[in-house]
Amino acid sequence: MTAPILEVEGLVKHFDVSRHVKVHAVNGVSFSIREGETLGVVGESGSGKSTIGRSVIRLLSPTGGTIRFRGRDITNLPESACRPLRAEMQMVFQDPWSALNPRIRIGDLIAEPLKLHTRLSAAERRDRAEALAIRVRLTPELLTRFPAELSGGQLQRVCIARAIATSPKLIVLDEPTSSLDLSVRAGILELLAELKAETGAAMMFISHDLGTVKLISDRILVLYLGSVVEYAPTAQVFADAAHPYSQALMSAHLPADPDAVLKRHVLQGEIPSPINLPPGCHFASRCPVAVPRCRIETPRLDAVAGDAEHRAACLRIAEGANRIPALEDAHG
Amino acid sequence: MSATIASPRWVRRIGGISRRSPTLAAGVFIILGFAVMAVLAPWIAPFDPEFAQPRNVLAAPGGAHLMGTDGNGMDVFSRVIAGARWAFGIAIPAVLVGLLAGVPLGLYTGYRGGWFDEIAMRFFDALRVFPSIILALAVVAAAGPSLLNVVLVIGFLDSPVFARVVRAEVLALRHSTFVESAVSAGNPTWRILFVHILPNALQGAMAQTAVRAAWAVRISATLAFLGVGIQPPTPEWGAMIRQGAEYLVTGQWWVGVFPGIALILMVLGLNMLGDGLQDLLDPRRKAATR
Amino acid sequence: MSLLRVEDLHTHFISRDLDNQIQVAKALNGVSFSLDAGRILGLVGETGAGKSLTATSIMGLLRPPARIMGGRALFQGQDLLAMPDDDLNALRGRDIALVVQSPKSSLDPLSRIGDQLIRIRRAHRGGTASEAREKAIATLGALGIPDPARRMQAWPHELSGGMAQRVLIALALMNEPRLLIADEPTTGLDVTVQAQILDLLRDLVRRTGIAAMIITHDLGVVAHYCDEMAVMYAGAIVESGPVRQVFRRPAHPYTVNLIGATPERLRLGATRTVGGPPPNLKALPPGCPYQDRCPQAGADCTMVPPDVPLGEGHVARCHRVAA
Repeated sequence: MTAPILEVEGLVKHFDVSRHVKVHAVNGVSFSIREGETLGVVGESGSGKSTIGRSVIRLLSPTGGTIRFRGRDITNLPESACRPLRAEMQMVFQDPWSALNPRIRIGDLIAEPLKLHTRLSAAERRDRAEALAIRVRLTPELLTRFPAELSGGQLQRVCIARAIATSPKLIVLDEPTSSLDLSVRAGILELLAELKAETGAAMMFISHDLGTVKLISDRILVLYLGSVVEYAPTAQVFADAAHPYSQALMSAHLPADPDAVLKRHVLQGEIPSPINLPPGCHFASRCPVAVPRCRIETPRLDAVAGDAEHRAACLRIAEGANRIPALEDAHG
Repeated sequence: MSATIASPRWVRRIGGISRRSPTLAAGVFIILGFAVMAVLAPWIAPFDPEFAQPRNVLAAPGGAHLMGTDGNGMDVFSRVIAGARWAFGIAIPAVLVGLLAGVPLGLYTGYRGGWFDEIAMRFFDALRVFPSIILALAVVAAAGPSLLNVVLVIGFLDSPVFARVVRAEVLALRHSTFVESAVSAGNPTWRILFVHILPNALQGAMAQTAVRAAWAVRISATLAFLGVGIQPPTPEWGAMIRQGAEYLVTGQWWVGVFPGIALILMVLGLNMLGDGLQDLLDPRRKAATR
Repeated sequence: MSLLRVEDLHTHFISRDLDNQIQVAKALNGVSFSLDAGRILGLVGETGAGKSLTATSIMGLLRPPARIMGGRALFQGQDLLAMPDDDLNALRGRDIALVVQSPKSSLDPLSRIGDQLIRIRRAHRGGTASEAREKAIATLGALGIPDPARRMQAWPHELSGGMAQRVLIALALMNEPRLLIADEPTTGLDVTVQAQILDLLRDLVRRTGIAAMIITHDLGVVAHYCDEMAVMYAGAIVESGPVRQVFRRPAHPYTVNLIGATPERLRLGATRTVGGPPPNLKALPPGCPYQDRCPQAGADCTMVPPDVPLGEGHVARCHRVAA
């Protein structure tokens, strides 16, 4: 087994809304990413997935827990000490229209990480930027344009070129395709898959779109209100999710195929506020198989059926009562 | 339609901008007029503005003196034209001083935040509620009524306006995705500030410059009118209006009224230019007209 | 007879740029479709294809610089585009209801939701306040909102995204419309909530026999909740027909590309070309708007493509499609 590039242990991040009010965005999340692996991070709004992505590359300072990057503890490194590390870990953002400085030409945007992290001359940087542009399938004429002159798909390619410029070991992608049209999205996914095979960079792919995550991830981390509910290889999560929330999430996904049969699990109940999280399992208020014990005891992320690769945080698994009943789809 | 297609691009651009913002077009027209006047003053003025003809004082408009002569027998028309030079000569450097002092301050307070920002903003508030004309009067009276002092005082009184506008932009930009992306690329703080934030934060300040120039023209004229700014016989409009005020009661209205009209026109032109620029640069308005 | 029948709808954006040149963006170029009672039509397409504009054009909600240049929109036989404003106003919100995207910004923040529901009922149907109140509670209840009488007192800011979307649908249903147009009704909602909203919409159509048009970019929504679909590109419907037919045998090259780009069909690593810049509506080529991105384009594509019938209401607008 290859060594992890990134190890996150008990990550906690709270945001202060006012002096006495805190939003508990991330509550003790642990996972690791192996060399060359793509970890899909899924969850709905408020699950803390973006906060985790930003904490991992230290755009945010964690409230608690540890983050190890290539064996080195970077949890509390000051920003000046993080800077050289940024050559090895890069980020791609959701909205390519706002992720690029509108007053800088595309060529200079792509070359910026090289300017910051290498000793290449201006001419060498220009050559590298052109090679990178061609690599992400942009025509070199675009290098002299400004961001406003490019389409969303082209801009996201620029962001990706920027992210791979210094050959990083880890790339965090925060919903990189969510704001793009379907056909453009496919092209970006194809590019990411190629880069993954070519560069061997590990990726953390954050998304709420299960179809996309399924396509590109090796393993999946399912989040609910800032906690990991399930952590397993992709195929296993889609075929045999153990946690009731994962089951509901997978079943709510609508594949673009009218012949696919849907097994629907309908959730009732309200989502608790991240300001006032209840004790016990945070999903208990919506969970069809919850028992009184679920509202008291906090479940641990344990191996499912003795399989260390498949972990889920649900008290009912040990009892064999974690399956939620499905409604057969009426219109099928 | 065919006429506009045949005309050159710059003519069309003028047409397009005038259509979108008539205010801007009118402002540009007025200010360009004054600029031409200021540049060509020595050639278009019939007399030296400080050439006194003691035997021809307070001559009524007409004949050789289009706007008459003043109490020293100087040609009012030539002095009004020369006054444009003084107006620009004070407004442009004063706005530059305001920008140079205000923009870095706004950039720094906005990015750094915390107690420093808090103190700076309260200080600006205090400055704003205090009538600026009294402050300017006091400083110029104490430091002496030289051109340099007038420019510096107006510039420094202007700087909080620029600082505030820039600070507001910086506050918004600091949390924007492209700044986050610049941080994650490994930019040091100075590059974040000067390469990524500053160029994007200047637009608001730039749109303010014309309005602030109008204010500078007005304040400098007020100072001169009150006798603490530029001194006669220098052809400064405020000083000329002060001189002319004495003759208003005795019926020689032309001494004060013509520089007064010039002052009003210039302030109006600069304000229209400023409003027009804000209209054109404001993205929300742009989206609405698109 | 169809409940709604749109024929050859053209909408252009006419403005002047900074160079004082008149710019015409041909946003809708001959949109035609029809919708029967009891059916759900999915209108799909990518950004700028004209999906939402089709709805706002039909409902007479266009603002300058957008202008309808031609076509008809027959609702129960009456042309909405030729109707006097007063008649159209009476129809909108009563017989035709629109559910717009962002639910949070579409509710009046200064009125309790009950008051908003009662207001829209009485504006169109009259009646007493207590009748309208009963109707409002019944509608909220039918939409699966727990404890509807208490919810009537809630303010819009107290609602979650999914709840706000349900209230918006309730507003649309207060006057028992014949036609419901939902523009991206679940975009921005979490998937577990999305399914609930869509279930509601479908049950409503099945139960009451009204017609619904769902505007969406999500082919998953179309695949599972619509009866018919119409695919838009550059302001025209390039392919339409029963959902299963179109998914199984997409005929227009754009539809083939679009369906092939869904995560379910996409095979990473297989070489294929997808995407490309969106069409420039200010300079559309003559003939087929897809010709410059189309892998099968030929010389005849500069001619206006025909609507080729493929059976069972399946139609594709393309020179390459054989009937």
